[in-house]
Amino acid sequence: MRDSLRGKVAIVGVGQSPTGRVPGRSPLDLTAEATLNALADANMQKAEIDGVLTGNAFASSFHRFSVALSEYLNIQPSYSNTLQVSGATAGAAVNTAAAAIHAGLAETVLVACGDSLLTGMTPDMAIRAMTESRDQQYEMPFGIPVANTFAMTAHRHMKQYGTTSEQMAQVAVTFREHASRTPGAQKTELITVDDVMNSKMVTSPYHKLDCSLISDGAAALILTSAERALDYTDTPIYILGGGEYYSHEHIFLMPELTQTGAVQSAQKAYDMAGISANDIDVAGIYDCFTGTVLMMLEDLGFCKKGESGGFVEDGQITYGGKIPTNTHGGMLSYAHPGIPAAWFHFIEVVRQLRGSCGERQVSNAELGIVHTLGAGFSTQATTILGAGSTR
Amino acid sequence: MNEVNKNALTKPLPTPDGDSQALWDGLKQGKLLLQHCDDCGHVQYYQQGMCRLCQSTKLRHQAASGNGTIYSYSVVYRAPGPAFKDDVPYAVLLVQLEEGPRMISSLVGKNFDALDFDVAVKLTTGAISDEICLPYFELVD
Ligand SMILES: [Zn+2]
Repeated sequence: MRDSLRGKVAIVGVGQSPTGRVPGRSPLDLTAEATLNALADANMQKAEIDGVLTGNAFASSFHRFSVALSEYLNIQPSYSNTLQVSGATAGAAVNTAAAAIHAGLAETVLVACGDSLLTGMTPDMAIRAMTESRDQQYEMPFGIPVANTFAMTAHRHMKQYGTTSEQMAQVAVTFREHASRTPGAQKTELITVDDVMNSKMVTSPYHKLDCSLISDGAAALILTSAERALDYTDTPIYILGGGEYYSHEHIFLMPELTQTGAVQSAQKAYDMAGISANDIDVAGIYDCFTGTVLMMLEDLGFCKKGESGGFVEDGQITYGGKIPTNTHGGMLSYAHPGIPAAWFHFIEVVRQLRGSCGERQVSNAELGIVHTLGAGFSTQATTILGAGSTR
Repeated sequence: MNEVNKNALTKPLPTPDGDSQALWDGLKQGKLLLQHCDDCGHVQYYQQGMCRLCQSTKLRHQAASGNGTIYSYSVVYRAPGPAFKDDVPYAVLLVQLEEGPRMISSLVGKNFDALDFDVAVKLTTGAISDEICLPYFELVD
């Protein structure tokens, strides 16, 4: 591959705000706090940030959140953008930040996002969130929230491969068990497959406990060039590969409901990193719904097409299994403040690769993957991360 | 109640644009107009100024037969906003039209027990305003 960014950029700081129910704090305030914590983690002064990439916040009126955040922190970057590819924004922002650093557009990029979906939404904002989710002419008139698009893909997967609701429920059960070990997780009470099956139906086949939470919260990552990384930390976590794929906009134009563009985005990332799925020790997988995780385990190459249900039932996505996934609890149990949600997957995988996860630590974790996606599998972004030994 | 809050209680009303005007005009007459490409033969439901496959502008509108099958579906129990509260539960369908394209629609009625993958459905239309008729589907006995 032509002079790729493999190993050229590292994450040197991670930070977050309080998460869960955090009333009375604006998305900018939460994101600024996460940024200060990431700066402290990197032993860095804010003036060293010369690039800022963010997502947008539903509970904030700013169209240029990255610019507003810079003003809020009184920094004047020479590189800034506010990205919008729904749930894949986290991965896309990290990949784009790494590319910008590798290309010399910036030296040190803050990649941050915050929102207060739980306590900060006025009715106007809630309407905006709802109506912006699907096409006004072809989808939304039929009462199809974005949840419904994911539900239809999972439903077809059940039909095509015999995947069961109990197998999907096991994803929620596993991530809840993970969250029970994570300080600050929004939901820590253990649940059973029956609890998921008996929770209220939201949009079939998804019950309430198959669906991600609604939360407040913010998270920040600081990326810099590999040359400078060791000035800030003894454990830089390197970007080894990035890949993205955008296969469609409308759910009715998705080429196949049960195979997604994650196949292509992951392959591109694996190729850049020079690895395969088998080499990976720990994963952060966007878990807006339980069935979403099943399909991603297949498309990212951790199991064969159609076999993810049994894979999860066999304990392969937790400690001792093939690919411990979402060890912080994910959006199903840790926090889901909207677009920022997948930032927490990055933070957790970075901490795993640093070896700083305490009782959540996956032993000998050196290679990690974060896969983020959104808008009914329209947007896909994969990032491969590695400890110093893998560079 | 302010204007925006009132809107929350109103269902999203499609606003036809240059690409889609013919589709909405057709639906008012009970027809689902698909775009047929005279250059490559592609048939598309999502209305564009050009063929999505070959970018030809030689597109011809032709009414769909109205016959299709259910490719996937999901019954909505929690409404996406107050506008749909009185409708739940309702079934959203991903319909496979016999001409090739797929489309999002919803089921007429609440016979959810009869819903299944690949079963036959037939087009019908229903007015939601003076200007807009939506395409719906009903199960074929
Ligand atoms: Zn054509």
